[in-house]
Amino acid sequence: MARDSAVPTENFEEILAWLNPDREVAATMYVQLRHDLAKTFTFRGCSDPEGLTDEVFDRVGKKVLEVRPTYVGDPRLYFRAVANNLIKEDLKRAKTQVSLEEPELREPTTTESDEDNAEDMEECLRSCLQKLSAENRKLIVNYYAKEKQAKIDHRSELAQQLEISVETLRVKVYRIRVSLQGCIERCLENKAQRK
Amino acid sequence: MKEDSVTDALLREFLLGKLTDEDRERIEGLFLTDSQTRERVLALEQDLFDDYLEDGLSQGDKERFVSRYARTDEQRRKLRITGAIKDWAVREARASHQAAPTVSVWRRIWLWLRFNPRFFIPIAVTTVVAAVFAIVWLNGRIEQRKHFAIEQELAQLNSPVSLREAPPDTISVDLRPVAVRGAEKQTEINIPTESHFVELHLPWIQSERYSTYQAEVRRLRDRKSFKIPNLQAQNNGRYTIRLRLPAQLLTTGNYQINLTGVAANGTLSFSEEYSFVVTR
Repeated sequence: MARDSAVPTENFEEILAWLNPDREVAATMYVQLRHDLAKTFTFRGCSDPEGLTDEVFDRVGKKVLEVRPTYVGDPRLYFRAVANNLIKEDLKRAKTQVSLEEPELREPTTTESDEDNAEDMEECLRSCLQKLSAENRKLIVNYYAKEKQAKIDHRSELAQQLEISVETLRVKVYRIRVSLQGCIERCLENKAQRK
Repeated sequence: MKEDSVTDALLREFLLGKLTDEDRERIEGLFLTDSQTRERVLALEQDLFDDYLEDGLSQGDKERFVSRYARTDEQRRKLRITGAIKDWAVREARASHQAAPTVSVWRRIWLWLRFNPRFFIPIAVTTVVAAVFAIVWLNGRIEQRKHFAIEQELAQLNSPVSLREAPPDTISVDLRPVAVRGAEKQTEINIPTESHFVELHLPWIQSERYSTYQAEVRRLRDRKSFKIPNLQAQNNGRYTIRLRLPAQLLTTGNYQINLTGVAANGTLSFSEEYSFVVTR
Protein backbone atom coordinates (compact mmCIF):
# COMPACT_ATOMS: atom_id res chain seq x y z
CA MET A 1 0.00 0.00 0.00
CA ALA A 2 1.41 3.42 -1.00
CA ARG A 3 1.79 5.90 1.84
CA ASP A 4 2.35 9.59 1.42
CA SER A 5 4.25 10.66 4.56
CA ALA A 6 5.85 9.52 7.76
CA VAL A 7 4.45 10.43 11.19
CA PRO A 8 6.11 13.52 12.71
CA THR A 9 8.15 12.75 15.85
CA GLU A 10 5.85 14.86 18.00
CA ASN A 11 2.81 12.88 16.91
CA PHE A 12 4.63 9.60 17.44
CA GLU A 13 5.42 10.66 21.01
CA GLU A 14 1.75 11.54 21.43
CA ILE A 15 0.76 8.03 20.29
CA LEU A 16 3.11 6.52 22.88
CA ALA A 17 1.77 8.77 25.63
CA TRP A 18 -1.78 7.82 24.63
CA LEU A 19 -1.00 4.12 24.90
CA ASN A 20 0.53 4.40 28.38
CA PRO A 21 1.98 7.20 30.53
CA ASP A 22 5.05 5.06 31.27
CA ARG A 23 7.19 5.44 28.13
CA GLU A 24 8.84 2.04 28.48
CA VAL A 25 5.52 0.22 28.84
CA ALA A 26 4.09 2.33 26.01
CA ALA A 27 6.95 1.31 23.71
CA THR A 28 6.27 -2.36 24.44
CA MET A 29 2.55 -1.84 23.90
CA TYR A 30 3.32 -0.09 20.61
CA VAL A 31 5.31 -3.09 19.34
CA GLN A 32 2.58 -5.44 20.54
CA LEU A 33 -0.14 -3.37 18.87
CA ARG A 34 1.74 -3.36 15.56
CA HIS A 35 2.02 -7.14 15.71
CA ASP A 36 -1.64 -7.57 16.67
CA LEU A 37 -2.93 -5.23 13.97
CA ALA A 38 -0.88 -7.06 11.34
CA LYS A 39 -2.40 -10.30 12.65
CA THR A 40 -5.89 -8.79 12.46
CA PHE A 41 -5.29 -7.94 8.80
CA THR A 42 -4.08 -11.51 8.25
CA PHE A 43 -7.20 -12.96 9.92
CA ARG A 44 -9.30 -10.88 7.54
CA GLY A 45 -7.39 -12.17 4.51
CA CYS A 46 -5.87 -8.79 3.54
CA SER A 47 -3.11 -8.87 0.97
CA ASP A 48 -0.45 -6.73 2.70
CA PRO A 49 -0.85 -6.91 6.51
CA GLU A 50 2.44 -5.12 7.26
CA GLY A 51 1.78 -2.31 4.79
CA LEU A 52 -1.75 -1.84 6.11
CA THR A 53 -0.42 -1.72 9.69
CA ASP A 54 1.99 1.07 8.69
CA GLU A 55 -0.94 2.89 7.12
CA VAL A 56 -2.98 2.61 10.34
CA PHE A 57 -0.17 4.23 12.34
CA ASP A 58 0.26 6.92 9.70
CA ARG A 59 -3.42 7.78 9.81
CA VAL A 60 -3.64 7.74 13.59
CA GLY A 61 -0.41 9.74 13.76
CA LYS A 62 -1.95 12.50 11.65
CA LYS A 63 -5.05 12.69 13.79
CA VAL A 64 -3.76 11.86 17.27
CA LEU A 65 -3.38 15.46 18.48
CA GLU A 66 -6.97 16.14 17.51
CA VAL A 67 -8.54 12.85 18.65
CA ARG A 68 -6.74 12.07 21.92
CA PRO A 69 -8.16 14.90 24.09
CA THR A 70 -11.77 13.85 23.48
CA TYR A 71 -11.47 10.09 22.95
CA VAL A 72 -12.89 7.96 25.74
CA GLY A 73 -11.87 4.31 26.14
CA ASP A 74 -9.00 2.01 25.26
CA PRO A 75 -6.94 3.74 22.53
CA ARG A 76 -6.23 0.36 20.93
CA LEU A 77 -9.88 0.22 19.93
CA TYR A 78 -9.46 3.47 18.05
CA PHE A 79 -6.60 1.89 16.10
CA ARG A 80 -8.89 -1.07 15.39
CA ALA A 81 -11.57 1.25 14.04
CA VAL A 82 -9.04 2.84 11.68
CA ALA A 83 -7.89 -0.67 10.67
CA ASN A 84 -11.51 -1.59 9.97
CA ASN A 85 -11.88 1.33 7.58
CA LEU A 86 -8.71 0.27 5.82
CA ILE A 87 -9.99 -3.29 5.47
CA LYS A 88 -13.14 -2.00 3.80
CA GLU A 89 -11.03 0.08 1.41
CA ASP A 90 -8.76 -2.90 0.77
CA LEU A 91 -11.73 -5.15 -0.01
CA LYS A 92 -13.24 -2.54 -2.31
CA ARG A 93 -9.93 -2.20 -4.13
CA ALA A 94 -9.58 -5.97 -4.43
CA LYS A 95 -13.05 -6.20 -5.97
CA THR A 96 -12.40 -3.50 -8.56
CA GLN A 97 -9.00 -4.86 -9.57
CA VAL A 98 -9.46 -7.90 -11.74
CA SER A 99 -6.97 -10.49 -10.58
CA LEU A 100 -4.49 -9.83 -13.35
CA GLU A 101 -1.73 -8.69 -11.04
CA GLU A 102 -1.99 -11.47 -8.51
CA PRO A 103 -1.78 -15.09 -9.51
CA GLU A 104 -4.58 -17.35 -8.36
CA LEU A 105 -4.12 -18.54 -4.79
CA ARG A 106 -2.67 -21.97 -4.72
CA GLU A 107 -1.53 -24.34 -2.05
CA PRO A 108 2.14 -23.99 -1.16
CA THR A 109 4.27 -26.63 -2.77
CA THR A 110 7.88 -27.57 -2.20
CA THR A 111 10.03 -25.64 -4.65
CA GLU A 112 13.66 -26.02 -5.62
CA SER A 113 14.68 -23.19 -3.28
CA ASP A 114 12.76 -24.83 -0.42
CA GLU A 115 14.76 -27.98 -1.01
CA ASP A 116 17.93 -25.88 -0.94
CA ASN A 117 16.81 -24.50 2.41
CA ALA A 118 15.85 -27.84 3.89
CA GLU A 119 19.38 -28.43 5.10
CA ASP A 120 19.58 -24.98 6.72
CA MET A 121 16.18 -25.54 8.31
CA GLU A 122 17.31 -28.85 9.80
CA GLU A 123 20.52 -27.29 11.16
CA CYS A 124 18.68 -24.31 12.64
CA LEU A 125 16.02 -26.56 14.15
CA ARG A 126 18.67 -28.72 15.82
CA SER A 127 20.58 -25.74 17.19
CA CYS A 128 17.42 -24.03 18.50
CA LEU A 129 16.11 -27.22 20.09
CA GLN A 130 19.29 -27.38 22.14
CA LYS A 131 18.39 -24.02 23.64
CA LEU A 132 15.07 -25.37 24.92
CA SER A 133 14.92 -26.85 28.40
CA ALA A 134 14.53 -30.63 28.59
CA GLU A 135 11.10 -30.11 30.14
CA ASN A 136 9.87 -27.94 27.26
CA ARG A 137 11.30 -30.33 24.65
CA LYS A 138 9.47 -33.19 26.32
CA LEU A 139 6.24 -31.23 26.42
CA ILE A 140 6.38 -30.44 22.69
CA VAL A 141 7.10 -34.09 21.84
CA ASN A 142 4.23 -35.24 24.05
CA TYR A 143 1.89 -32.69 22.55
CA TYR A 144 2.56 -34.04 19.07
CA ALA A 145 2.65 -37.72 20.02
CA LYS A 146 -0.68 -38.35 18.27
CA GLU A 147 -2.14 -36.92 15.11
CA LYS A 148 -5.59 -36.29 13.63
CA GLN A 149 -8.54 -37.56 15.72
CA ALA A 150 -6.41 -39.38 18.32
CA LYS A 151 -4.68 -36.16 19.33
CA ILE A 152 -7.82 -34.71 20.96
CA ASP A 153 -8.04 -37.46 23.59
CA HIS A 154 -4.27 -37.59 23.94
CA ARG A 155 -3.97 -33.86 24.65
CA SER A 156 -6.79 -33.98 27.15
CA GLU A 157 -5.00 -36.85 28.97
CA LEU A 158 -1.76 -34.88 28.88
CA ALA A 159 -3.51 -31.83 30.35
CA GLN A 160 -4.95 -34.01 33.12
CA GLN A 161 -1.50 -35.39 33.93
CA LEU A 162 -0.14 -31.85 34.20
CA GLU A 163 -3.20 -30.80 36.21
CA ILE A 164 -4.02 -27.96 33.83
CA SER A 165 -6.82 -27.34 31.33
CA VAL A 166 -6.45 -28.22 27.65
CA GLU A 167 -6.63 -24.50 26.92
CA THR A 168 -3.71 -23.75 29.26
CA LEU A 169 -1.75 -26.64 27.76
CA ARG A 170 -2.31 -25.24 24.27
CA VAL A 171 -1.11 -21.78 25.36
CA LYS A 172 1.90 -23.30 27.13
CA VAL A 173 2.91 -25.17 23.95
CA TYR A 174 2.20 -22.05 21.89
CA ARG A 175 4.67 -20.04 24.01
CA ILE A 176 7.38 -22.65 23.57
CA ARG A 177 6.74 -22.81 19.84
CA VAL A 178 6.87 -19.03 19.47
CA SER A 179 10.30 -18.90 21.07
CA LEU A 180 11.45 -21.85 18.96
CA GLN A 181 10.09 -20.33 15.75
CA GLY A 182 11.71 -16.98 16.56
CA CYS A 183 15.04 -18.69 17.11
CA ILE A 184 14.76 -20.64 13.82
CA GLU A 185 13.78 -17.51 11.88
CA ARG A 186 16.77 -15.59 13.22
CA CYS A 187 19.07 -18.53 12.48
CA LEU A 188 17.77 -18.83 8.88
CA GLU A 189 18.20 -15.09 8.35
CA ASN A 190 21.80 -15.27 9.58
CA LYS A 191 22.50 -18.15 7.23
CA ALA A 192 20.92 -16.30 4.29
CA GLN A 193 23.01 -13.20 5.02
CA ARG A 194 26.20 -15.23 5.10
CA LYS A 195 25.50 -16.67 1.64
CA MET B 1 -22.04 -12.29 22.74
CA LYS B 2 -20.66 -12.49 26.27
CA GLU B 3 -16.93 -12.80 26.94
CA ASP B 4 -17.36 -16.23 28.52
CA SER B 5 -19.11 -17.49 25.41
CA VAL B 6 -15.90 -17.20 23.39
CA THR B 7 -15.38 -20.91 22.83
CA ASP B 8 -12.50 -22.57 21.02
CA ALA B 9 -14.89 -23.50 18.20
CA LEU B 10 -15.92 -19.86 17.80
CA LEU B 11 -12.31 -18.67 17.78
CA ARG B 12 -11.48 -21.26 15.14
CA GLU B 13 -14.31 -19.95 12.96
CA PHE B 14 -12.95 -16.45 13.56
CA LEU B 15 -9.53 -17.55 12.32
CA LEU B 16 -11.08 -18.98 9.18
CA GLY B 17 -13.21 -15.87 8.55
CA LYS B 18 -16.51 -17.68 9.04
CA LEU B 19 -18.13 -15.47 11.70
CA THR B 20 -20.85 -12.87 11.49
CA ASP B 21 -19.68 -9.24 11.52
CA GLU B 22 -20.94 -8.79 15.08
CA ASP B 23 -19.07 -11.79 16.52
CA ARG B 24 -15.96 -11.03 14.50
CA GLU B 25 -15.81 -7.42 15.69
CA ARG B 26 -16.23 -8.53 19.30
CA ILE B 27 -13.36 -11.02 19.04
CA GLU B 28 -11.13 -8.55 17.19
CA GLY B 29 -11.66 -6.07 20.03
CA LEU B 30 -10.82 -8.69 22.64
CA PHE B 31 -7.81 -9.82 20.63
CA LEU B 32 -6.32 -6.33 20.84
CA THR B 33 -7.23 -5.52 24.43
CA ASP B 34 -7.42 -8.78 26.38
CA SER B 35 -4.14 -10.65 26.74
CA GLN B 36 -5.78 -13.98 27.55
CA THR B 37 -8.01 -13.95 24.47
CA ARG B 38 -5.02 -12.85 22.42
CA GLU B 39 -2.95 -15.85 23.50
CA ARG B 40 -5.89 -18.23 23.02
CA VAL B 41 -6.38 -16.98 19.46
CA LEU B 42 -2.68 -17.26 18.62
CA ALA B 43 -2.43 -20.74 20.18
CA LEU B 44 -5.47 -21.89 18.21
CA GLU B 45 -3.94 -20.40 15.08
CA GLN B 46 -0.96 -22.71 15.64
CA ASP B 47 -3.28 -25.70 15.99
CA LEU B 48 -4.94 -24.66 12.75
CA PHE B 49 -1.52 -24.66 11.08
CA ASP B 50 -1.03 -28.22 12.38
CA ASP B 51 -4.42 -29.32 11.06
CA TYR B 52 -3.59 -27.88 7.66
CA LEU B 53 -0.21 -29.64 7.62
CA GLU B 54 -1.91 -32.91 8.60
CA ASP B 55 -4.41 -32.41 5.78
CA GLY B 56 -7.11 -32.31 8.44
CA LEU B 57 -9.16 -29.42 7.02
CA SER B 58 -12.20 -29.65 4.75
CA GLN B 59 -11.75 -28.37 1.21
CA GLY B 60 -13.56 -25.10 2.02
CA ASP B 61 -11.53 -24.50 5.19
CA LYS B 62 -8.33 -25.37 3.34
CA GLU B 63 -9.06 -22.65 0.78
CA ARG B 64 -9.87 -20.16 3.51
CA PHE B 65 -6.65 -21.13 5.30
CA VAL B 66 -4.48 -20.72 2.20
CA SER B 67 -6.01 -17.31 1.40
CA ARG B 68 -5.09 -16.08 4.89
CA TYR B 69 -2.05 -17.94 6.13
CA ALA B 70 -0.18 -19.22 3.09
CA ARG B 71 -0.43 -16.22 0.83
CA THR B 72 2.89 -14.42 1.08
CA ASP B 73 6.44 -15.81 0.97
CA GLU B 74 6.85 -14.83 4.63
CA GLN B 75 3.71 -16.76 5.61
CA ARG B 76 4.82 -19.80 3.65
CA ARG B 77 8.18 -19.64 5.35
CA LYS B 78 6.47 -19.61 8.75
CA LEU B 79 4.36 -22.56 7.66
CA ARG B 80 7.51 -24.47 6.68
CA ILE B 81 9.08 -23.73 10.06
CA THR B 82 5.92 -24.95 11.83
CA GLY B 83 6.01 -28.07 9.67
CA ALA B 84 9.68 -28.70 10.52
CA ILE B 85 9.01 -28.40 14.28
CA LYS B 86 5.98 -30.66 14.03
CA ASP B 87 7.81 -33.28 11.93
CA TRP B 88 10.67 -33.34 14.43
CA ALA B 89 8.27 -33.74 17.37
CA VAL B 90 6.34 -36.54 15.64
CA ARG B 91 9.62 -38.36 14.80
CA GLU B 92 10.80 -38.01 18.41
CA ALA B 93 7.47 -39.24 19.77
CA ARG B 94 7.57 -42.30 17.51
CA ALA B 95 11.19 -43.05 18.38
CA SER B 96 10.56 -42.85 22.13
CA HIS B 97 7.44 -45.01 21.74
CA GLN B 98 9.46 -47.69 19.93
CA ALA B 99 12.28 -47.50 22.46
CA ALA B 100 9.89 -48.08 25.36
CA PRO B 101 10.26 -51.53 26.94
CA THR B 102 7.75 -54.02 25.64
CA VAL B 103 7.27 -55.59 29.08
CA SER B 104 6.30 -53.13 31.78
CA VAL B 105 7.92 -53.11 35.23
CA TRP B 106 4.66 -54.25 36.87
CA ARG B 107 4.37 -57.13 34.43
CA ARG B 108 7.94 -58.22 35.25
CA ILE B 109 7.26 -58.06 38.99
CA TRP B 110 4.11 -60.07 38.51
CA LEU B 111 5.96 -62.72 36.46
CA TRP B 112 8.64 -62.95 39.10
CA LEU B 113 6.13 -63.35 41.93
CA ARG B 114 4.29 -66.05 40.02
CA PHE B 115 7.27 -68.34 40.31
CA ASN B 116 7.68 -67.85 44.06
CA PRO B 117 5.93 -69.65 46.92
CA ARG B 118 2.31 -68.57 47.49
CA PHE B 119 2.64 -67.25 51.07
CA PHE B 120 5.25 -64.75 49.93
CA ILE B 121 2.80 -62.76 47.87
CA PRO B 122 0.48 -61.33 50.58
CA ILE B 123 3.41 -60.58 52.92
CA ALA B 124 5.38 -58.80 50.23
CA VAL B 125 2.37 -56.80 49.08
CA THR B 126 1.44 -55.75 52.62
CA THR B 127 5.01 -54.74 53.44
CA VAL B 128 5.46 -52.76 50.25
CA VAL B 129 2.12 -50.97 50.64
CA ALA B 130 2.84 -50.08 54.27
CA ALA B 131 6.33 -48.84 53.46
CA VAL B 132 5.10 -46.75 50.56
CA PHE B 133 2.34 -45.17 52.68
CA ALA B 134 4.79 -44.38 55.47
CA ILE B 135 7.31 -42.78 53.10
CA VAL B 136 4.67 -40.76 51.28
CA TRP B 137 3.12 -39.55 54.55
CA LEU B 138 6.48 -38.58 56.07
CA ASN B 139 7.66 -36.83 52.91
CA GLY B 140 4.40 -34.96 52.68
CA ARG B 141 4.70 -33.71 56.27
CA ILE B 142 8.32 -32.63 55.82
CA GLU B 143 7.58 -30.90 52.53
CA GLN B 144 4.56 -29.13 54.00
CA ARG B 145 6.58 -27.77 56.92
CA LYS B 146 9.42 -26.68 54.66
CA HIS B 147 6.99 -24.94 52.31
CA PHE B 148 5.28 -23.12 55.16
CA ALA B 149 8.63 -21.95 56.57
CA ILE B 150 9.72 -20.60 53.17
CA GLU B 151 6.45 -18.71 52.71
CA GLN B 152 6.85 -17.16 56.15
CA GLU B 153 10.40 -16.11 55.34
CA LEU B 154 9.23 -14.58 52.05
CA ALA B 155 6.44 -12.64 53.78
CA GLN B 156 8.95 -11.31 56.31
CA LEU B 157 11.43 -10.38 53.58
CA ASN B 158 8.77 -8.45 51.67
CA SER B 159 7.20 -6.59 54.58
CA PRO B 160 7.29 -2.78 54.14
CA VAL B 161 9.85 -2.50 56.98
CA SER B 162 12.25 -5.03 55.39
CA LEU B 163 11.87 -3.49 51.94
CA ARG B 164 12.97 -0.11 53.31
CA GLU B 165 16.39 -1.64 53.98
CA ALA B 166 18.64 -2.19 50.99
CA PRO B 167 21.09 -5.04 51.59
CA PRO B 168 24.29 -4.51 49.54
CA ASP B 169 24.30 -8.08 48.19
CA THR B 170 21.05 -7.59 46.26
CA ILE B 171 20.62 -7.56 42.51
CA SER B 172 17.64 -5.69 41.02
CA VAL B 173 15.86 -6.76 37.86
CA ASP B 174 13.01 -5.08 35.98
CA LEU B 175 10.49 -7.53 34.55
CA ARG B 176 7.79 -6.81 32.03
CA PRO B 177 4.34 -8.37 32.03
CA VAL B 178 3.91 -11.31 29.66
CA ALA B 179 0.81 -9.56 28.25
CA VAL B 180 2.89 -6.77 26.77
CA ARG B 181 6.08 -8.67 26.14
CA GLY B 182 4.49 -10.91 23.50
CA ALA B 183 6.89 -13.09 21.59
CA GLU B 184 9.95 -11.32 23.02
CA LYS B 185 12.67 -13.36 24.69
CA GLN B 186 12.21 -14.06 28.39
CA THR B 187 14.23 -11.99 30.84
CA GLU B 188 17.33 -13.92 31.87
CA ILE B 189 18.64 -13.40 35.38
CA ASN B 190 22.21 -14.42 36.01
CA ILE B 191 22.70 -14.56 39.76
CA PRO B 192 26.30 -14.07 40.89
CA THR B 193 27.38 -16.45 43.66
CA GLU B 194 27.99 -13.57 46.09
CA SER B 195 24.38 -12.28 45.79
CA HIS B 196 22.00 -13.11 48.59
CA PHE B 197 18.82 -11.46 47.32
CA VAL B 198 17.13 -10.77 44.01
CA GLU B 199 14.76 -7.85 43.90
CA LEU B 200 12.22 -7.94 41.09
CA HIS B 201 10.44 -4.79 39.95
CA LEU B 202 7.04 -5.68 38.58
CA PRO B 203 5.28 -2.85 36.72
CA TRP B 204 1.49 -2.88 37.13
CA ILE B 205 0.11 -1.65 33.81
CA GLN B 206 -3.58 -2.02 34.48
CA SER B 207 -5.53 1.11 35.32
CA GLU B 208 -7.12 -0.38 38.47
CA ARG B 209 -5.13 0.12 41.66
CA TYR B 210 -5.37 -1.97 44.83
CA SER B 211 -4.46 -1.50 48.45
CA THR B 212 -2.32 -4.65 48.41
CA TYR B 213 -1.10 -7.25 45.94
CA GLN B 214 -0.39 -10.95 46.19
CA ALA B 215 2.42 -12.60 44.24
CA GLU B 216 2.63 -16.28 43.46
CA VAL B 217 6.10 -17.36 42.37
CA ARG B 218 6.05 -20.62 40.46
CA ARG B 219 9.09 -22.71 39.55
CA LEU B 220 8.13 -24.50 36.34
CA ARG B 221 10.64 -27.34 36.68
CA ASP B 222 9.08 -28.93 39.76
CA ARG B 223 5.87 -26.82 39.73
CA LYS B 224 6.51 -25.61 43.27
CA SER B 225 4.87 -22.32 44.08
CA PHE B 226 5.06 -19.83 46.91
CA LYS B 227 2.57 -17.13 47.78
CA ILE B 228 3.62 -13.76 49.14
CA PRO B 229 0.69 -11.62 50.37
CA ASN B 230 0.40 -7.97 51.48
CA LEU B 231 2.73 -6.48 48.88
CA GLN B 232 2.41 -2.77 48.36
CA ALA B 233 2.97 -0.75 45.21
CA GLN B 234 5.18 2.29 44.93
CA ASN B 235 4.63 5.08 42.47
CA ASN B 236 7.85 6.88 41.62
CA GLY B 237 6.78 7.82 38.13
CA ARG B 238 6.10 4.13 37.48
CA TYR B 239 3.52 2.14 39.37
CA THR B 240 5.61 -0.84 40.45
CA ILE B 241 5.49 -3.66 42.97
CA ARG B 242 8.81 -4.75 44.47
CA LEU B 243 9.33 -8.41 45.23
CA ARG B 244 12.46 -9.56 47.06
CA LEU B 245 13.48 -13.21 46.90
CA PRO B 246 16.39 -15.08 48.51
CA ALA B 247 18.92 -15.97 45.82
CA GLN B 248 19.19 -19.54 47.15
CA LEU B 249 15.50 -20.11 46.40
CA LEU B 250 16.04 -19.29 42.74
CA THR B 251 17.71 -22.37 41.35
CA THR B 252 18.42 -22.57 37.62
CA GLY B 253 15.30 -22.78 35.45
CA ASN B 254 12.11 -21.05 34.32
CA TYR B 255 9.87 -19.11 36.68
CA GLN B 256 6.48 -17.52 36.44
CA ILE B 257 4.98 -14.87 38.71
CA ASN B 258 1.28 -14.14 38.97
CA LEU B 259 0.64 -10.80 40.60
CA THR B 260 -2.94 -10.28 41.73
CA GLY B 261 -4.62 -7.14 43.01
CA VAL B 262 -6.37 -7.58 46.37
CA ALA B 263 -9.36 -5.30 46.88
CA ALA B 264 -10.07 -3.64 50.24
CA ASN B 265 -12.64 -6.35 51.07
CA GLY B 266 -10.04 -9.06 50.51
CA THR B 267 -11.30 -10.33 47.16
CA LEU B 268 -8.72 -11.16 44.54
CA SER B 269 -9.05 -9.17 41.35
CA PHE B 270 -7.10 -8.63 38.12
CA SER B 271 -3.71 -10.22 37.72
CA GLU B 272 -0.57 -9.78 35.66
CA GLU B 273 1.85 -12.51 34.67
CA TYR B 274 5.64 -12.21 34.49
CA SER B 275 8.20 -14.81 33.61
CA PHE B 276 11.96 -15.12 33.75
CA VAL B 277 14.81 -17.63 33.50
CA VAL B 278 17.48 -18.03 36.14
CA THR B 279 20.99 -18.94 35.09
CA ARG B 280 24.04 -19.32 37.30
